[in-house]
Amino acid sequence: MKTDLSPRMKTALYGLMCVLLIPFVFPTWWMITSSVKPISDIFAFPPDLWPRRFDLTTYARVFELQPFARQYWNSAYIAALVTAGTMVISSMAGYAFARIKFPFSNAIFMVVLLGLLIPSEVTIVPLFQIFLGWGMINTHWPLILVPIFGAPSVFATFVMRQFFIALPNELEEAARVDGLGRFKIFWTIALPLAKPALGAVAIFTFLHSWNLYLEPIVFLSSTQMFTLPQALTQFTDAYGGAMWNIQLAAATMTAIPVLLVFIVAQKQFVEGLAHTGLKG
Amino acid sequence: MAPVTLKSVTKSYGATSVLHGIDIDIADGEFVVLVGPSGCGKSTLLRMIAGLETITGGAIEIGGRVVNDLEPKDRDIAMVFQNYALYPHMTVATNMGFSLEHRGGSKAEIAERVQWAAGILGLTHLLDRYPRQLSGGQRQRVAMGRAIVRNPQVFLFDEPLSNLDAKLRVVMRGEIKGLHQRLGVTTVYVTHDQVEAMTMADRIVVMNGGKVEQVGAPLDLYDRPANLFVAGFIGSPAMNFIEGIVTNEGLVALGVTLPLTNSAPLGTKATYGIRPENLTLAADGLPAKITLIEPMGSETQVTMTLGDHTITGVFRERIAARPGETIHIRPDLNAIHLFDASTGLRIE
Repeated sequence: MKTDLSPRMKTALYGLMCVLLIPFVFPTWWMITSSVKPISDIFAFPPDLWPRRFDLTTYARVFELQPFARQYWNSAYIAALVTAGTMVISSMAGYAFARIKFPFSNAIFMVVLLGLLIPSEVTIVPLFQIFLGWGMINTHWPLILVPIFGAPSVFATFVMRQFFIALPNELEEAARVDGLGRFKIFWTIALPLAKPALGAVAIFTFLHSWNLYLEPIVFLSSTQMFTLPQALTQFTDAYGGAMWNIQLAAATMTAIPVLLVFIVAQKQFVEGLAHTGLKG
Repeated sequence: MAPVTLKSVTKSYGATSVLHGIDIDIADGEFVVLVGPSGCGKSTLLRMIAGLETITGGAIEIGGRVVNDLEPKDRDIAMVFQNYALYPHMTVATNMGFSLEHRGGSKAEIAERVQWAAGILGLTHLLDRYPRQLSGGQRQRVAMGRAIVRNPQVFLFDEPLSNLDAKLRVVMRGEIKGLHQRLGVTTVYVTHDQVEAMTMADRIVVMNGGKVEQVGAPLDLYDRPANLFVAGFIGSPAMNFIEGIVTNEGLVALGVTLPLTNSAPLGTKATYGIRPENLTLAADGLPAKITLIEPMGSETQVTMTLGDHTITGVFRERIAARPGETIHIRPDLNAIHLFDASTGLRIE
């Protein structure tokens, strides 16, 4: 609904929004500015919002102390594979649950949804046993397979199902008359129209994989195999103290893809979730 | 082009039967309209011809071939849907050529057919647009273009004009009829609008409650409805019905005796039917008290009480009377319909 506000009201609203923005923007601002401060300046009192001295060597040291480029690549390719795999599986499963009549489809969907209720902490030990048996410990396979067939994929299937349910039946019927079989209808009609939902699934899945922490620390043991969230905990001195400025430099670089994804695709994310009846 | 034959076609959803043995012969090149109230089964029947619904019993033949178990794509039909069903992510040209593309047509052939169809429907300048950039009428034309581009044996239309405004509906009605006359393809058209049915059809199939009430040319149905349902459904405003008993003086009903030319047996309980436009003003006619008067300009529609019955008359003249006043009316004796009160069937 569009409303006409007076200039004074608009100013007041924008002022209020700026105040409300502070708790969200401040941590990011603090992370970025602290990443270029000498460590002694980070804890100076009163704190400085703008660095008094710039120390850009922190960014170089991130790569000296850890195989950070390798870890960055690990996170990137794992997130990309998980995103692609989840998109394929969730779009097909979501379409099947929404459009194909088969016995007990609703009951099966409810069982699938129950997967969301089980916390990953509950399943991590059995999963460790399974992957140990398969010789996949200290490999990236668990970090790829668990999300693709686990809770993130269930949520993605739910998002896709809700989208496909809302797709007009007549489009599929027109496609059947036009000579398309089930898979071609999915591939050439339903999937291209599901771009907003796929966008939401892609962002959600990418971020989930990118930020995954529990699974890497359980399944990975060598620094060469680490992903970024795990690598961030490794910037400590000889006594175990955190090297804050270097850690924050690494955190800033880690956050860049996340920010980029949100800036580029936030509209699709919101549109996609709108189809599920969930708020974005 | 091909004839379409429906033989004792039935449809049930579980224990609920929705079509009870439909028999219709549609000739090659004929334009047949299925008409009836909502829920009468006309759309279901059309979808069964298309192959979008399974057939519970009976047989559907297209071009002499039983198509009961064939997929829609193998029936050589094209369908225009109520909501057009244009693919939103494709341009007009791609929408129209989509079917040919998936049937292995060459690019040159597809382009030629799309241009041909676009030329017929006045869509040439819109070929690069997307459905969202078109008006309702243009979308309707694209939907028709998609159907004709394939040169199918049968066109199926499922209430294609119901989303258009009244003015555009009249225009598109003419376009669809013109297209049929030009291409001569067998057409089955579903509507609940009896005006559409009357103006477009070679033959009308009136359906009610999953059964065919009557099949015939539009004016045959209008002039000689087979039963009370058809008599009441065809014609606007609807035919007036008055129940009474056939006597020597005419049909004696509550508060009024109506003239009859019919040779129904005396004592028959019957329903007397007279269309509003078959009533005329006459000084020596039956007295009727006006309850509502609606001047339309070219005609005047009057709701009035005749005896104990409320009836409607449409007069080609302007009437100065007001509600509460009495006018005298006379039914056209050549336009009286009589129906058996118990069976509802026409009495000749």
